[in-house]
Amino acid sequence: MNRPGMNDVRVLVASAAGIYLCLALAMGVFPGRVLSATPPGPGVVPLGEAAARGRDLYVGEGCSYCHTQQVRPLQQDRIWGRPSTRGDYAYATPQLLGTERTGPDLSNVGARQPSAVWHLIHLYQPRALVHASIMPAYPWLYDVKDRAEPGDVTVAVPAGYAPAGKVVVASRGAQDLVAYLQELKQAPLPAPAP
Amino acid sequence: MEDVRSYVGAPGGRGVAEDARLLSAYTITATVWLLITTAAGLLVSFKYSYADLLQAPWLSFGRLRAIHTNGTFYGWASVALVGCALYVAARSSGVSIARPRLAWAALWSFNLAVLIGTLTLDAGWSNGSQEYREWIWPAAALFLLAVALSGIVVVSTVAARVGPDIYVANWYTIGGFVFTFILGVTAAIPSYQRGLGQVAVQAFYMHNAVGMWFTFLALGVTYYALPKLLNRPIYSYALGVLGFWTNLVFYPVIGAHHYEFSPLPWWFQTLAIVFSVGMLVPVWAGSGNFALTLRGRWSAVRRSYALPFLVVGIVYYFVGSTQGTVEAFRSLQAIWHLTNFTVGHSHATMYGFVTFIAWGGIYALLPRATAKEPPPLWVGIHFWLAAVGVTVYVVLLSVAGTEQGLTWANGDPFIASVEAAAPYWLGRAVSGTMMFLAHVVFAYNVYRMTLAPAPALVPRPAGGRAA
Repeated sequence: MNRPGMNDVRVLVASAAGIYLCLALAMGVFPGRVLSATPPGPGVVPLGEAAARGRDLYVGEGCSYCHTQQVRPLQQDRIWGRPSTRGDYAYATPQLLGTERTGPDLSNVGARQPSAVWHLIHLYQPRALVHASIMPAYPWLYDVKDRAEPGDVTVAVPAGYAPAGKVVVASRGAQDLVAYLQELKQAPLPAPAP
Repeated sequence: MEDVRSYVGAPGGRGVAEDARLLSAYTITATVWLLITTAAGLLVSFKYSYADLLQAPWLSFGRLRAIHTNGTFYGWASVALVGCALYVAARSSGVSIARPRLAWAALWSFNLAVLIGTLTLDAGWSNGSQEYREWIWPAAALFLLAVALSGIVVVSTVAARVGPDIYVANWYTIGGFVFTFILGVTAAIPSYQRGLGQVAVQAFYMHNAVGMWFTFLALGVTYYALPKLLNRPIYSYALGVLGFWTNLVFYPVIGAHHYEFSPLPWWFQTLAIVFSVGMLVPVWAGSGNFALTLRGRWSAVRRSYALPFLVVGIVYYFVGSTQGTVEAFRSLQAIWHLTNFTVGHSHATMYGFVTFIAWGGIYALLPRATAKEPPPLWVGIHFWLAAVGVTVYVVLLSVAGTEQGLTWANGDPFIASVEAAAPYWLGRAVSGTMMFLAHVVFAYNVYRMTLAPAPALVPRPAGGRAA
């Protein structure tokens, strides 16, 4: 190869860095800047205090590795809600769109499954409600006590899944997580102009 | 500036001994992380079939999955390939590794980063579940520091070379260090990463971390080790250079194919698909170049214990990357996107390609450096367990992903996709067990190549049958 310039290591480093820097700005930083400024869609509001804490727990426990939060404009995604729009994610940082759907999409789970009772049992032991589920159980988000104290949120775990003779009480973490799941609702899109 | 030429050592001199110590230390620590983080991956794979297995926060699926992916990326593959890159830079330049103290500092920084990242993930401290950048910022910063330090070592070593030409292997490794440093800084700044903006940056980051770091380092090792073991020059330098520039220009554009059908701008996704097709140029240039270098020398592959690893790596580079292009088409993403097919693909590339190249590089370089050969039988056991294991793994998850996607398209209740994939998940846990056993055998072979006492006699030149 007769290319004396590229045989200077400084030229190699500088040209590789220069080209890649341009591409990183064009394909990473620029789209990031533009899309970060996306205004919230109609009816899209920030999470409440408990739900925001629940979302932090959702992030730390890696829930988004199995649960997407994006409804695609495809026939098979209609069961999860309407197709997601850009304005849906204005308050969703860190983003949790996900790349795998081992479990159901949760974009609209608050509307599909609004019951706190269901979620509290399901997080304690998913197989108590969905036999074939492979979702991890989160028993450490609960206290198991001999009897409930005033103010405790007890969980009616079905027989066979509950510790015998004890009561299962939801910790604040479990309640926060359920608050988050209940607030995961798609805002209805305004009807198109006639 | 220190004169790096002072590190030029006569063969067998002090500098070469230090090179061997560095390569050994990088390989040993990388192997420790391979064992820890694939044990995590193995446990995760069994949890697909036995969901209530080992219930504890620090052993839960969501935490171990991130430990597995980040740990194999940054603890195993990165440290192993950087060790090879340092050694290749020195040997191909006819000098010793320049600035060895920086190389040691980089090794400490790599390992501290992986340790902090792994422990904090296990405590539930995730940097926002953004795949392959889940580590909290101190761990990420230490990793980036290590990339910078080891990059300086490679550049300094190549700058001190004896001949006029920069060997093409060093083009790739120097490129990998430069790109990854820029990528790491780009991914760390939060001001343009809100909501959908973060989706765009994540798309850019997650694919570039693979394609601008591991691909470049793995190709760099291959461009050195393959001709060395075959004792013939690489088929074409021009194809190597073509692959370098086209990979550099095409790869950074394809990230958005991880978010097809998402609310990211449609044209942005289309651009990513078009450039995914463009990726066939560097992939076929590279793998074709290696295949043509191998042509007519298959008997050497049978007699070597390092070459079979490189051959598997090259085959998976071709198959896995071509699969990536095909997979990017919208018609196929409509079925395969969000399924286990993606996980099969990622193991074809990060394991079949990158990890096998790292093993090939280590088996090619380390026995020559330390004059201690691994037992060929155990290298063979390592090879077959890993090669059969990963192939079964990829096939099973590709079928599982297809079944998942078809049940969705069929409009079945969601749980049908879980039930359809369940038998394949059990099979994956079995093939994963084979892969993990391969790692245990590999760890023993690393011990034999490094810490084990030297053979009493000096039988034959290092490298032996692989030469």
